[in-house]
Formats: sequence, C-alpha cells, structure tokens
Amino acid sequence: MMENVILEAKGICKSFSGVPVLSQVDFSVRKGEIHALMGENGAGKSTLIKILTGVYTKDSGSVFWDGKKVEINSYKDCQKLGMACIYQELSVIPPLTVAQNVFLGREPRKLGLIDHKKMNEMTQALIDQYDFPLEPGALVSNLGIGLRQLVEILKGLSCDSRLLIMDEPTASLSGKEAESLFSIIDTLRKKGVSIIYISHRLEEVYRLSDRLTVLRDGKNAAVLNHDEIEPKKVIQTMIGKVVDESAGSSKEMRKNSNEVVLEVQNLSDGTGFFRHVSFQAHKGEILGLGGLIGAGRTELVRAIYGIDRYREGTILLNGQALKPSPRTSIRAGFGFVPEDRRGQGFIPLLSINRNTALTNYDRIKKNGLAVSDKDELEMCREAIRRIDIRPADPQKQVGLMSGGNQQKVVLGKWLMRDLKVLIVDEPTAGIDVGAKDEIYGILEELAKNGVVVILVSSDLQELIRVSHRILVMRKGAIIQEFDSGVVTQSMVLEAASGLMKKEEAV
Amino acid sequence: MKKINASGFGKPIILVVFMLVLTILRPSSFLTVGNLSNVLWSISVYGIMVCGTIFVFLIGGIDLSIGSLCGLCAVTIVKIIRYFEYSNTGVLVGILAALSVGILAGMVHGVIITKFRVPAFLITFATQIIFLGLSMILTNNKILSCLQPELFTAIGMKKIFSFPIPIYIMLLIALTSWFILRKTVLGRYVYAVGGNAYASRLSGISDTKITVLAYVFSGFTTALGGIVLASMTQQCMATTGSGYETEVITAAVIGGVSLLGGEGTVSGALFGAILIGLLNNGLNLLSVPSTEHGLVKGIVIIIAVGFDALQHQEKFRSWLNQFKMKRAREAA
Amino acid sequence: MKQTTIRRLISLGMLCALMVLFSCTSRYYLNADNLLEIVRDASVAGIIGVGVTYVILTSGIDLSTGSCMALVGMTMANIYRYTLLPIWMMLLIGMLVGLAAGLFNGLVVAKLHLPEFIATLATMGIFRALTYAIAIRDAGGIITSQAMTYSSFVKWGGAVGRIHYVSIAFVVIVILGQIVLKKTRFGTNLYAVGANRKAAELSGINIARTRIMAYMTVGLCAAVGAIFTTARLQSTTALLGNGFEFDPIAAAVVGGVSLSGGYGDVVGTFIGALFMSALDNGVLKLQMNTAYQYVIKGVIIILVVMFDAWYNAWMEKLAQERGRKEAVKA
Repeated sequence: MMENVILEAKGICKSFSGVPVLSQVDFSVRKGEIHALMGENGAGKSTLIKILTGVYTKDSGSVFWDGKKVEINSYKDCQKLGMACIYQELSVIPPLTVAQNVFLGREPRKLGLIDHKKMNEMTQALIDQYDFPLEPGALVSNLGIGLRQLVEILKGLSCDSRLLIMDEPTASLSGKEAESLFSIIDTLRKKGVSIIYISHRLEEVYRLSDRLTVLRDGKNAAVLNHDEIEPKKVIQTMIGKVVDESAGSSKEMRKNSNEVVLEVQNLSDGTGFFRHVSFQAHKGEILGLGGLIGAGRTELVRAIYGIDRYREGTILLNGQALKPSPRTSIRAGFGFVPEDRRGQGFIPLLSINRNTALTNYDRIKKNGLAVSDKDELEMCREAIRRIDIRPADPQKQVGLMSGGNQQKVVLGKWLMRDLKVLIVDEPTAGIDVGAKDEIYGILEELAKNGVVVILVSSDLQELIRVSHRILVMRKGAIIQEFDSGVVTQSMVLEAASGLMKKEEAV
Repeated sequence: MKKINASGFGKPIILVVFMLVLTILRPSSFLTVGNLSNVLWSISVYGIMVCGTIFVFLIGGIDLSIGSLCGLCAVTIVKIIRYFEYSNTGVLVGILAALSVGILAGMVHGVIITKFRVPAFLITFATQIIFLGLSMILTNNKILSCLQPELFTAIGMKKIFSFPIPIYIMLLIALTSWFILRKTVLGRYVYAVGGNAYASRLSGISDTKITVLAYVFSGFTTALGGIVLASMTQQCMATTGSGYETEVITAAVIGGVSLLGGEGTVSGALFGAILIGLLNNGLNLLSVPSTEHGLVKGIVIIIAVGFDALQHQEKFRSWLNQFKMKRAREAA
Repeated sequence: MKQTTIRRLISLGMLCALMVLFSCTSRYYLNADNLLEIVRDASVAGIIGVGVTYVILTSGIDLSTGSCMALVGMTMANIYRYTLLPIWMMLLIGMLVGLAAGLFNGLVVAKLHLPEFIATLATMGIFRALTYAIAIRDAGGIITSQAMTYSSFVKWGGAVGRIHYVSIAFVVIVILGQIVLKKTRFGTNLYAVGANRKAAELSGINIARTRIMAYMTVGLCAAVGAIFTTARLQSTTALLGNGFEFDPIAAAVVGGVSLSGGYGDVVGTFIGALFMSALDNGVLKLQMNTAYQYVIKGVIIILVVMFDAWYNAWMEKLAQERGRKEAVKA
C-alpha cells in the first residue's frame, strides 16, 4: 500500500501572524488516482496547496515524495520533483503558439535557433498521447478559455509531471468544455498521472474522484474512499453537524413589511448568464442570493445596478422603471459593493475621507465652488463611527489598510446616503472573522432601517445567518427559494448543485 | 499645501541643498531678488503649462502635443495682432482666439481618446505633427515679430513690484489649478478617475467627461503659455515651443506626479518646474553650456524617481499591475 | 485565417491603398527610382524600429533613440578627427557606444525599476548632453559640424547600382530581426515578458535580462542608423536625430505592434516604416508646402490609429460572440 503513495504530507501546520490556518493536516495522494480536496472557503485548501508547491513554507510537518522526505522551497523545486500546478488565473502567453507555450524556456534548439519542427512534433506527440483537441501551431490567443486550460495542462505534463494540481479547473468553463476536460482527466488517470482536484462542485467531485479529503477549519475532517463519497455525507462533513443544526433555527423569525421596494421581472441578459429572473424584495429585507461560482449571480446584480446591459425584462424600484446606469441607480437610492474590492470597490491611492465622500458630494455643503472640507470630514467621521474603522484616521490611505477595513470603507460610502437598496457581492471574502461580524452587523442595521439588502455570497454559513430569505441560482436561473428560518446549509448546497429534485422542494 | 509631496521627502531637501551650494559657489549673483525673479520668469511658460497638463497626468493620460500647440497659439495671437495692425483690439481678439484654439485642441484630444479608446500617446503624437504643420502654414516658415502694442509686450515683460507679469500669471493659474484640484468636486473626481476609473464609474462618476475636461484644461493652459511666450519673445515662428512637452513632463515627474495617474499635486509640479529653472540658472552661473544641462536634468530625474521607485518597489509593482489591469479592462 | 495574418494583410492593404492614392496625385510617384527612394527613406527609422519593436513587445518604450544616434555620430566624428584608427574600428566603436547606451537604459529600467517612459526621457537628455560635451568645436570654441568625407566611410551612404546600401542593411536587419524574434529563445521571451510577466517568471525566464537585452538591441540599431545617416550626410552635428525618436515608434505602431506589449513583429514594423515613408514621399510629391505634409501625415496617423482601435474592438466582439455561442450550445 505505502509504495503506491506518490505524495504524502504529514502533520502540516501553518499559521499567519499567530492565527493557525492549518493544524496537523495529513494528506496523501496515490499513484494514478484523482484525489479531491474539499472544504468551505477558508478551510485551508489553498494554503495547503501553496505549501505543497513551495509558495508558502510550512511551520512544521513533513512532505514525502515517492517515499523520500523532500523540502519544497519554490515552485521550481516542485516542478523538478514532477509536480505541476494548473492555476486558476491562466498563466499561458496568448501571442505564442501552443507548442511555444508548452516548451517555454525549454525550447529544443538546433545551432542556437529554436527547432520549431521538432518542437511541434514533440508537442504533437504529447497531444496524441493524451488525445487533446489541440494543434501545436495554433496561436493561443485564438483559443477559448477551455482550450487554453488544456495548453496549461499539456505544459504541466510535458515536464514528465506525475502529479497535477488543478484548482477549480471548471470555474470558467462552459458545460461542454468541462465535459471534455473530464474525459481528459480520465485519460490522464489511465496513464498513471495523479491529480489533486480542488472544486466546490459536488457533482464533479462525486463523478471523478477516487478519494476525497475534506478539510474543516484547517484540520482533517475526513478522508473518504470512492464508495464512501455520498453527496449529503460530504456536505455534512464539510459544514460540521453542529453548525448545520443551529444555523437556521436558532434565529428569531423576522417580520418583514409587505411593501415591495424592488421588483425584478423576467430579466435576461440574452447570452445565458441569467435567464428570465423574477423576484420581489420587501422593505427591510435581507435577500440572499446563493449558488455556485459561475451561476450568474454577479452578472445578475451588476445588471440590476445598471453596469451591464440586459436584453429583456424590467427593474422596478417602488413601482417605477429604472434606466440602466450606475448614476441613475445611485440617484434613485441604490448602493453597490462589488465583488472585486481592490479593482472596483475603492481608490487605493486616496484617503478614507475622499473614498467615503466620493458618492456623497451632492449632499456635502459647499462654499461657492469649494467643497466644505469641514463638512466632508464631518461626514467621513460620522461614517467611520458608524462602520467602526480603527484607527479612526480619515486621512489614512485606503490602499494600505487591511481587507476588512477596506470593505468597511466601501460600505461607508453608501451608508451616508438615503439608501433604498444595497447590493453587496461577496462582502466578506478574504476578511478576518472579527470584521466579518461587524459587516453583518452593519447589514442588519441597514435592514432594520428599511433598506433592502441583496447579499450575494458563496459562504453558506454567512448566507443563512444574515439573510431573511434565500434565492438559489443555478445556471442562470433562480431554481429555489428558502425562508432562512428553516433552511440548512445542506439544503442550499444541494439545490445549488442540482441534487435536489423538483418534487422534493416545497 | 501642508504636504508638498506624499511620496518624496527628499525633494524639498534637494532644493534647499541645491540653493545652498549655489549660494556658496556664487554668493554675489545667485541669491538676489533680480536673479530669483529671472529664474521664475524663465520657467513661467512651462510653469503655466504644467498647471493644466497635470490634470491629464492625474487621470493617467499623456499629452505630447503641448509643445507644438503652445507654438500654434503663439502664432495665432501674433498673426491676429498683425492683422489688426498692432491695435489693442487685436490683442484682445488674439488672446481669445489663441485660448479657443487651445481649448478646441484639448476637446478634440479628449473626445477622440474617450470615444475611440485609442492610446493618448499616439493621438497626441499625431496632433503634435499637425499643430506644427499648421504653425508652418500660418507663418509661412518665417519669423514673425511683434513689438507692439504695449498691451501685448506688457504681458511678457512688464514688471510689477520688480517681478514680471508672467510670474503673476503663473501663480494665478497655479492657484486656480490648486483650487480646482484641492477644493472642488471636479478635482476630487479627477483623482478618483486617475486612481481607479472603474471604481469611479461604479460610484456614478462619468470618467469620460472627466477625461475630456482634463484635456480641455491642458489645452487652455497651453494656449496661455503660448500667449505669454509670444509676448516674452515678441516674435513667433513655427518651432516656437517645440520641446516644451519634455520640459513640462520632466517638471511634473520631478515634482512627484505619477504618469500612471492618481498621484501628484500642483505644488509638486510647480516645485519641479522651479527646480528645473534653478538647475538651468545654476548651471549657467557655473558656466556650464546650456546644451549640456540635459545631463544634469536626466540624472536628477533618475535619482528623484529612482529613489522613490526603489523605496516603494512593491507599491510600484502593484501600481503597474493595476495600470495594466485598467488598460485591459478598458480594452475589453 | 489567422488573426495575425489578417492584421498583416490589412497593413499591406493600407500601404497599397496609399500608394495607389499617391500614384493618382502624382505621375512621378509610381516608378522604380521613386520606390527605391521610398525604401531608402524608410530605412533608418525602420532599422531603429526593429529594436524598438523588441522593446515595445516587452511593453516598454524607448524615447532616447534620436539622442543615442547623435551620441554615436559624435563619437565617430571624434575618432575620425583625432585618431588614426581605421574606418572599421570607428564603426565598431560606434556600435559599442550604441550598445552601452542601450545597456544603460536597460539597467535603469530593469534594475532601478523606473517607468520606461520616464527613464528613457531622462536618458534622452543625458545622451544629447553627452553629445554636446564631446562635440567638435572650432578654434573659437563654437560647436561646428564635423565633415567626414573619407571615401571608405562615405560609400556607405551611397548605392550599389540603384540600390542604396542603407536599404540593403534595412532588409537584412529586418530579416535578422525577424529570425531572432521567431527562432530564438530571446525572441520568445520578449513576447512572454510583454504578454504575461508572471507566467514568464514561473517558466524560469529572466525578466530583467530579457528587458536589458531588448534595450541593447535598440542601442545597436540606433548606432547602425547613425552610421548610415552620417555616411550619407558626410558629416555629423550635435543635433543629429533631434525629434527623430518618435519615427521608429510610429513605424512599429502603424505596423501593428501593440503599445501594451506582446503583439506584433518585425515584419509589421517593416511595413509600417515603408508606410510612413511612402506617406512622406507622396505628400512631398503633391508639391505642397512641407507644412501641409505635416498636417496630412498627422491626420493619416490618427485615422490609422482609430481604424486599428475600431478593428481590435470588432475582433474582440466577434471572439466574445463566438464564446457565447459555444456557451449556449453547451
């Protein structure tokens, strides 16, 4: 049994600034097996992978490759051993051909010049070996995102890799592309290549993996063999039973007014990101939008806020139709906290003061043309008080603050307005626990004051804890509605994964 | 103006040290009102220009055409004054016409850059050639002198309280520009768009409008610079103002204005212009020929910017990434 | 058909359209002598454009090429005047000076991490000032131009038959440049560094070295450009190449090299340089004032750039629609 193991990690521990992220994690991959790694956001999956690929150094524990103890200190070390990582963000070079990408930095040469013929032949041989639908001479810029991923896989295989790490490989793939990826993964397994497969999508894991390791809160929760992998059980293990029972039921039932503030009718974008979406949101309600990555939630809320155009349907705010543009939405009482905080949420070079004031200049006093610095600062102080940023220095540059404080600033610029609807997209991603609670507090406070909060979140615990009502999206459509008083995390996850049959749902 | 520059404590020190050195080396000629007034006078044209062009830098754009646009505006006012036979009316009409030319040019830049999403670098490179061509057509490749009327020559030469008028114009424009950037909503929007155009758009700011306005203001101050330059030299030709774009960009960069957008102040840019003026003046006093000033200026840029770059290498990289992401998003 | 092929055909199409246009406006345009002249006039900008293409591919820029030419020219003038070194040594030293200038640019950019635009703006001033510092002066200390009339040097400014040496050099350098770009690791690395720096680093490519080598190529090309220019003028001045730095950049961009890095090649720049030269020549043949030439040249550049932006946006849209169709099908 032991000689079958290609990679083994024992007792891995890692903490960041005193907070343990991984404690005593054991993990092993056998030759030619597909080993899935699962866990909720923040369970420690990516940290473990980064330790195995030499991006982070472990605090303690040991790693064995082929039975021998090894130290992996850089990605190069890991490549030398025969491990390759297929990154979530693609690392191909679009202007080069498939063959050039595969052999980048290791091109075969003749008389100092790259031997394109030989390189193409070698690439073709690899392609034939694994039966990929690629051509060596094709430019990668002409390939779709699915094929680009195959190029990366091919690149990994070309260094005689015996272990591939795939991090959410289907996140940006269409159904068809995902299908062909699965059959390729299958071929690889037959050729004896081991794969560590990280995915949130239960159906894929269920279908592909030989074994499954579940992490929870930085610890091993379970290692399951293929015949033990049963979706409900996996979900239970991932979430941990205690949380599951208490999450929904311990909450007091909230009474919402029946006044409809926001109504979305039959909204479609025409390209399939979301289709025929209709829902109503009531005054003072926190409406959760659940679903897997790529289910179309972000696209839907972006369209509601007016960033992206939609092809058909209407959006009514207090019964009045809205012209789609962020400007008109803001004037009508919308607020928007985007998913990509750093890229879209705030201005890193500017102070808290300037960031929070950005949406509020119509309300700040002016002396002639000049903005009243005093009034601006006063408003910022008020915002800082309400969102509790520490240290409370309005002049601090937002780019240099922690993720939690940055998110509070993004929220802060909307709090001072007369909000009717606030859309928050993954508001707590990458934020520490304390700040998370504070953000929940802010959202609840807003709802108490009659604001409709639309919460998009992949964190089920958060979704159930904060929302009053949950809509679950799958493949661009709303397929399920739950009252959060009775829902459990597994119910949401099953609906989002398409496991729940229609008749079961009430 | 408490903070001269957020990222460079070194720069005021450079200035002080530099002035000290010159005072010691040339005690009789450097630190006199006459000489300092001369320094300010000599930089006033690009001092005026940088106060407007800084808007373009702040939104992350660039304007290579300001040198030849400055020349075109100088030609415009001189031609009109000559047409009106050196009357005072001619001066007023000429000023209005030159300013209109500048504003129009800025508008054309802004509209093409935002509507067609083309790199500012190329468009302003092309218009630079066009403006030069237009100046050549208007002047017929001759030097046009304009020694009258007094109303015109006064702009560049007349002294009030022993300082020539261009210095006052420069200060006035600097104050205006400082006021817009520091005090008004528009100024806050300019920094926001330059710092993160996408986030600004999500906050309801029209980044295209701000971009066009930035180029228009740059065109306006460039025209003003052209008027002052024409009056200072009392003549104009097609190549008047050529190379000023380099001086202006250099002044801005030395003054801590980031060409990636979102960072920089008017006081910083003006400081850069003054430092260049002092450099030129000091090197002249030390009898270094003007042709070799580029060496010192180049080294000062590399030290000033390189110092910052090394100090904030991580920060710099993340800016670059942001910048690239911004470009990629704009392209998409 | 590949996207790059289409882009190449569009460049060629624009060049042809331009030539057809001008052969209508002037009967002196479309004949062998004039066409050879167009190639000759494209050559110096084109030669430097080969190096500039490399730098732009890495998403950099070089504004110092004009000053670099002057520095090389003046170095050679000094050797010519004050030493007895043979001509080939003079040329060799000129090229070494170009390489050194490029190395300096590269170090400032890749090791000091200065933004390329600012760094080369600074070195533009530095090289020009150095040129003045070593400029040839007459007895009164006034800078003069140095005549360089030694026949084994001047012949490089001439022609063999009707074809000019500089044109031959241009074509040879373009071929060499394209081979290096497509057939060596250095060339592949240029694309990788420009298109996806992080991925290039993960593949073990030395980013700094690649960027420095790109700048050294520009320096070498500028030196070659300076040699042919001074040989043709039979003299050099401290003002050599003043304002010339934008011509190679324009040639590259018109030839489809993307200023944000990663896309384009040397053959594109070749066509771009020919385009700019054909444009200059055609406008000249209109027998208009040079002033009008400038205006027309500027307008045509704007039109080309706008067309390019529109074309890229269109291709992007097509690709997106293709992606959506695939997604809907699945």
